Amino acid sequence: MIELPEQTLWDIRAFVYHHFGDTIHAPSLDETAVRFALTRDEAASAYDALHHRHAFFLKPGTHEILIANPFSNIDTTFRVHANGKTYFANCAWDSLGIPAALHVDADVEAVCSQSGEPVTLQIRDGRVSGSDVRIHFLIPFKHWYDDLVFT
Amino acid sequence: MLFFRSEADLNAWLQAKGYTHGATLTVSQLWGLSQRWYHNRMNVKFHGRTLEQVGEIFREVGLVSDFWQ
Repeated sequence: MIELPEQTLWDIRAFVYHHFGDTIHAPSLDETAVRFALTRDEAASAYDALHHRHAFFLKPGTHEILIANPFSNIDTTFRVHANGKTYFANCAWDSLGIPAALHVDADVEAVCSQSGEPVTLQIRDGRVSGSDVRIHFLIPFKHWYDDLVFT
Repeated sequence: MLFFRSEADLNAWLQAKGYTHGATLTVSQLWGLSQRWYHNRMNVKFHGRTLEQVGEIFREVGLVSDFWQ
């Protein structure tokens, strides 16, 4: 693994997050390499290092970013309409995490995991309203990172 | 972490999947947790948090059972 300066790693983390905020998607490895004037191998090492630190999570066996909580880089049933965009969250928690991270009003569009009935929530001026739902956490905190996608 | 429209829906889902109940939050609790957990996520200075900081956030929103330890 190629070692990069700590500050570069954290700057890359911030770049990834702001790329999500601006575009709803993670930057590709090549985009990150160009942005920081790195070789592809250096950028891959940075991605590996940030994955191991749980700063974001790569699709197994690749250098494609899958998750940078609360953002998902793939379509999910947890949609968050904000900033004129539709973001995808990883789970119920992250669907509220996106407006919390971006500090914006938002409309959350999801479904009940049993009935499939729609779940809609509105965030306005820092307050939440909408469907009368409960949110279930299956995995105890100490095991959250055993298998993040399942969690 | 999943949404359920009712307790009956949650119980039916748990039974169908063969899972045991974990922890259930209200929307208000989840929003409070989200604000504390994610408010600084876009900041370049955010480098993660310690277990002590995680515990403090959970306590602030009333999550104090063994599930959150």
